[in-house]
Amino acid sequence: MSIIREHTQATLSDAWRTIDIDALDPDSPANFDTATLHTALPDISEADVRQLTAQVRQLLRGGDAEGALRGCLETPVYATNTGTPAAVAAAAENGSGNELAREAALQTVVEVLQSIKASEMTPMLQRIYGSPGGSECLDVLMKYLYKGMAATSASAGGSGPRTPTRMTPQPTGFSQIGPRPGAATESTGAAMSVLLSWHEKVVEVAGLGCIGRVMTDWRRV
Amino acid sequence: MAPPEVHHLFHNPIADHSFSADRNTLAIARDTTVELYGRAGNAFKLQDELKGHDKTVTSLDIAPNSGRIVSCSQDRNALVWEPTPQGYKPTLVLLRINRAATFVRWSPSETKFAVGSGDRLIAVCYFEQENDWWVSKHLKKPIRSTVTTLAWHPNSVLLAAGSTDAHARVFSSFIKGVDARPDPTAWGERLPFNTVCGEYLNNSAGWVHSVAFSPSGDALAFAAHDSSITVVYPSAPEQPPKAVISINTQLLPFMSLIWNGEAEIIAAGHGCEPYRFNGGIEGWQLSGALEAKALGGSGDQREESALNMFRQMDLKGKVKDDTQLKTTHQNTVTTIRAYETAGDAVRKFSSSGVDGRVVIWNV
Amino acid sequence: MSQSLRPYLQAVRSSLTAALCLSNFASQTAERHNVPEVEARTSPEVLLTPLTVARNENERVLIEPSINSIRISIKIKQADEIEHILVHKFTRFLTQRAESFFILRRKPIKGYDISFLITNFHTEEMLKHKLVDFIIQFMEEVDKEISEMKLFLNARARFVAESFLTPFD
Repeated sequence: MSIIREHTQATLSDAWRTIDIDALDPDSPANFDTATLHTALPDISEADVRQLTAQVRQLLRGGDAEGALRGCLETPVYATNTGTPAAVAAAAENGSGNELAREAALQTVVEVLQSIKASEMTPMLQRIYGSPGGSECLDVLMKYLYKGMAATSASAGGSGPRTPTRMTPQPTGFSQIGPRPGAATESTGAAMSVLLSWHEKVVEVAGLGCIGRVMTDWRRV
Repeated sequence: MAPPEVHHLFHNPIADHSFSADRNTLAIARDTTVELYGRAGNAFKLQDELKGHDKTVTSLDIAPNSGRIVSCSQDRNALVWEPTPQGYKPTLVLLRINRAATFVRWSPSETKFAVGSGDRLIAVCYFEQENDWWVSKHLKKPIRSTVTTLAWHPNSVLLAAGSTDAHARVFSSFIKGVDARPDPTAWGERLPFNTVCGEYLNNSAGWVHSVAFSPSGDALAFAAHDSSITVVYPSAPEQPPKAVISINTQLLPFMSLIWNGEAEIIAAGHGCEPYRFNGGIEGWQLSGALEAKALGGSGDQREESALNMFRQMDLKGKVKDDTQLKTTHQNTVTTIRAYETAGDAVRKFSSSGVDGRVVIWNV
Repeated sequence: MSQSLRPYLQAVRSSLTAALCLSNFASQTAERHNVPEVEARTSPEVLLTPLTVARNENERVLIEPSINSIRISIKIKQADEIEHILVHKFTRFLTQRAESFFILRRKPIKGYDISFLITNFHTEEMLKHKLVDFIIQFMEEVDKEISEMKLFLNARARFVAESFLTPFD
């Protein structure tokens, strides 16, 4: 057996070539601890969120939409999954983290946003922005808007088939039989357009800096 | 207020600029070279090109008294350019870094300079007589990411640094034999090399793009990518600061800032124009743009049909089609520096940007 | 032109303008290299939170910002299978000629139809607001283009069917 063949045979099986050695070096830039990029985060459980939701609903029923909005923006539920990449991966594996609480908080915010009339948006945002700590509140609102858009589109894209094959009985797609293609998207479209119009109003009041802070902030909702 | 003096030098980004003490020579970091411009009447003419780097020059600084130019580049090197009758003579600095050098500034004493780098450290460089070259000592802990910016305290010992790990820090860069023992300040009393006198983080994080000490050295301001400016007032060594004031603006992030006295900060960045902040220890606020927006006046406005206008509004969500910005700078401002000062106050300052312009502004 | 297109494009515009604040940044991992960090993904701290702007589940834009580059991925509306085929062919046509489009990425991100990669070198050379305009214009034109192509295809299919069937009637 030639030495070349021997050599290739020995290495072919070897998985070591694909080891990411950067991940093993604690000093590597890849192992940056992202938990150092924010201050300590409050730990809010799902039960807390439910309690908050109840309070917010109470306020909404009482007609105090602004109080309800402020209520949910002042106690945002931040993702706790920051840290070194290894730590993040480990947390994802054993299922720790506050996914459910964050999801519930998002639902509450979206609910409040949908209950506010379009004509009330700008004055309300201006009042919030003008009040102490208001700029932070709008930053949080912006985070929820982006999360809302990401979450709705992701869940819709995940559950249903990506290509709407069910609408076309023939693979050629020339048939016009079946439900109207746009029908399924209408409900999410309506939810989205609420978020989009809020987005526009928040940018008007809090400027582009607000979007910038959504990007830089590691306290993710 | 007199209009700003605009010098459009070329169509490349200017990474950094620096004026000589007499303000007649302007050094520009353009791509891989350092270009020297001399003032000829109202314009600046190219006089000399200093070629020594083989990657993008990221920063440069002219020492006001000695006239030495220090430049650093992404090729991991820094060069000190000594003025001689035959022209500038480069000396390589022993930086001992393995990543790009990102930022360089002379200390006010001009005996040292500091180089920030992507190697997650700061090289503090000083001249070693016996070996006849510039050597460096490293400030390493606790920097966790690329150092993007540096600023010297007036006492030439304290050094502020900002980095992409979103922290602004104050270090001691005291080097025995080079520095005289500094007077105790609010930042610290005994200051051996690599003492961390302060470490600050914004709530919404964001890479720090610029740091600056106030003229007295008793306050530190930094601009971060979250469109904010933060001013820190230290109280005493080892104590939490007296006040940390953060101003979250509605604007795009600032890339550079300078102090004008103790009660004003001028900052510019991705918004392409300088802004003024006013305040003190009890609070700061944005006072507005420095530039009078006269450019977008009647003469500039192009005729457009109503149909077209509504179409633009409907389709693209904007009112009119424009290729020129209303600001003097047409792209991000990367550096601003004091140009003419009276005591602590800045009378004029210069700015350079990605659009290849150097602008001298009246405050 | 549907009602919600304007706020959608407006949201994309403002998100892009805020995200396109790029600076020259040399790699921290490889010496003497300067690579788009959003592609390299070697330093978590220079990557920012990705933003999604969505109009409905079939139309969305993903913006992934980093210190020296941003990646924009667009999911183009596909109501039925023909549109799906048309979008596929159309984006393939463009991506195969990516070098003439400067900011076009050769391969779209998973789940999207077309991706753009804008680095600090692009924003240095080109006007930032014009780059934003370009993306916005692309987004609205591509919808128009696809529906036009679909109409044309249907018309052509009808014509072909007719001419095939004429001799037999």
